[in-house]
Amino acid sequence: MLFVQLLLGGVQNGALYALTAAGFALIFGATKVFHVAHGSAFTLAGYVFLYGWTHNWNSLLSCLAAVLVAVAFGVGMERLVYRPIQRHEGSFFTVFVAAFGVSIVVQNLVGVFAGRGFASIDTPLSNASEVLPELFLADVFWVAILVALVMFVALTLFLSRTNAGVALRALAQNPDLLRAYGLSSSRLSMLAFALGSALVAPAAILSAMTTGLNEAVGNHVMLLSMASTIVGGVGSLRGAALAGLLLGVAESVVLVFLETQWASAASFLVLFGFILFKPSGMFGAAVAK
Amino acid sequence: MLEFSRRALLGTALAAPFARGAAAQEGPYILGSVFPQSGPNAEYGGVFTAGVQLALQHIEADKLLKRPIRYISEDSQALPQQGVIAMTKLVNIDKAHWTFAAFTAVSKAVAPIGDRAKTVMINGGAVGPDLSGLSPYFWNVIPLAHLETRALLPYLVGQGKKRFALVYVDDPLGDAILKELGEQLPKVGAELVGSFSIPRDAQQFGPVAARVRQVRPDAVYIASFGAQQSQIIKGLRNNGVSQQLCSYSAMNLASVGSLPEAEGMTFTVQKVDYAGGDALTRRFAEDFRRAHGKEPTVYNANYYNGCRLFGLLAHELEKTNTAVTGDSLKDTLHRLKKFPLVGGTGEFDAAGNMMAAIEVVQWKGGQLVKLA
Repeated sequence: MLFVQLLLGGVQNGALYALTAAGFALIFGATKVFHVAHGSAFTLAGYVFLYGWTHNWNSLLSCLAAVLVAVAFGVGMERLVYRPIQRHEGSFFTVFVAAFGVSIVVQNLVGVFAGRGFASIDTPLSNASEVLPELFLADVFWVAILVALVMFVALTLFLSRTNAGVALRALAQNPDLLRAYGLSSSRLSMLAFALGSALVAPAAILSAMTTGLNEAVGNHVMLLSMASTIVGGVGSLRGAALAGLLLGVAESVVLVFLETQWASAASFLVLFGFILFKPSGMFGAAVAK
Repeated sequence: MLEFSRRALLGTALAAPFARGAAAQEGPYILGSVFPQSGPNAEYGGVFTAGVQLALQHIEADKLLKRPIRYISEDSQALPQQGVIAMTKLVNIDKAHWTFAAFTAVSKAVAPIGDRAKTVMINGGAVGPDLSGLSPYFWNVIPLAHLETRALLPYLVGQGKKRFALVYVDDPLGDAILKELGEQLPKVGAELVGSFSIPRDAQQFGPVAARVRQVRPDAVYIASFGAQQSQIIKGLRNNGVSQQLCSYSAMNLASVGSLPEAEGMTFTVQKVDYAGGDALTRRFAEDFRRAHGKEPTVYNANYYNGCRLFGLLAHELEKTNTAVTGDSLKDTLHRLKKFPLVGGTGEFDAAGNMMAAIEVVQWKGGQLVKLA
């Protein structure tokens, strides 16, 4: 039963990792911007929801506020940080350092305004009960699965059935051709940042209920998002989402065989495995040089 | 009988108002801290600093010292590497007379730097047992973990808890508590039925809870700190671990007390009577409440004491016009041994550890309730 317990726990965490990883992969795939500050969108969304919750806002309003803040942060980063840098020089490292700097600023601002230390939401949703002998499940498990499924179905439909979605995919594949057709890569980049950042909000809200938040929580999110993007195959949204799920399951199920200390390391062992034996990732295309 | 000429008395009287100014011209005493001011343990940095700042205000208000004090705060992020950088700056560039450290791993990392520079280091937050005797210049104003567990375990065993599980952070503090529980539990008729090591950056504790449930403990001891300890409590409680949770003084944080899942958490702290204690303790508590609008914690008191101790030692040295150095401070500490501090008279042993009474407390409804 321990295996089943760990597997289900891993699926719950993996669903949340999948959402954040898909957001990062969407942004990186479409714009080629290594958005290290993606974890900050997670942090901000989580704390805004927490603020709404503690101030007795309507739950839906709190969720909406969290999504809006994450989107505003993503779009703001694209407009105010990445675009000016790319206009002048645009080297990978400049973008990386700028994003890294912003994430530190966000971390400190959250600490100043929301207080340093642990913060969480007390809700019956996260209290597990024994559904079978030795098997504990909380309602948040079903919520996480459902939310992740709805978000991925909606995103898939958007990317395949709408003009903006198709254009976004085209931006990822050939931005020059996109411009030749008279489409604005600038607006599409903004859309990629908005969508990618919006995806972290549900994960942040559910994390506030389960593991809780602190101002540095974005660092962990960012690491997992990067690992998922590589494991899933750079540029593959589906790959990143599945990889997020895989990493979540791996860091949980590994405890059947190894000591608890190895939980976090399991994710990165999976990452190393892919880098060594399948560098293109689960769904990435191999590139010949 | 000593006799003074009128001229000598007149000269002394005229010079007196300037004596403090002349001393001040020697430059300020430099006090520096290596606390986490950012990252998941930053809450501690704020708590520790509040204690130091109140002591500085009292030293200034009491005109305890002739020279002013300059306080420099460096950010360790509770990481040994950052702590070493911060401590190196404090002793080599700022030429600190007195420093404050916290966290077992950080304290062990910075101690050799302070030792080489003969700069006093005060620990009021870390509890790793091997912090005792780390350096002649490293002093503890907090009871270390071995003393805390020896106070807690008999109480819990008396409550019928015989099987203990330990969830511990993989660092010197966690290792020390693992060793301590392994040695002490059999002595009090209990056993360690499972120990679960976690990395410092671990955030998911659902899987750990599943492993803890498997060993069927009566009580779960948590040896961690900062945001992580709250995450562990929430992770265990939300995932079916309903047994008694227990720990050491790191749980004495407002963020832990306000956590619904921490209800019933039992741990040890230093005994300090803020209401009925001596005048110094009452003054500390009243001024702290006035400044921060809440009750002080023992961490506030510890770092207040650490800073006040500098004031008392330097005052002694100033009286005899002795230079304030690491060695002179150390010699004065060992000569006087006892000092009026918050919580009562603080007495130091030869290794620089302050003795303190310990009590068993519990979080109940967000309030700290004394159990034993």
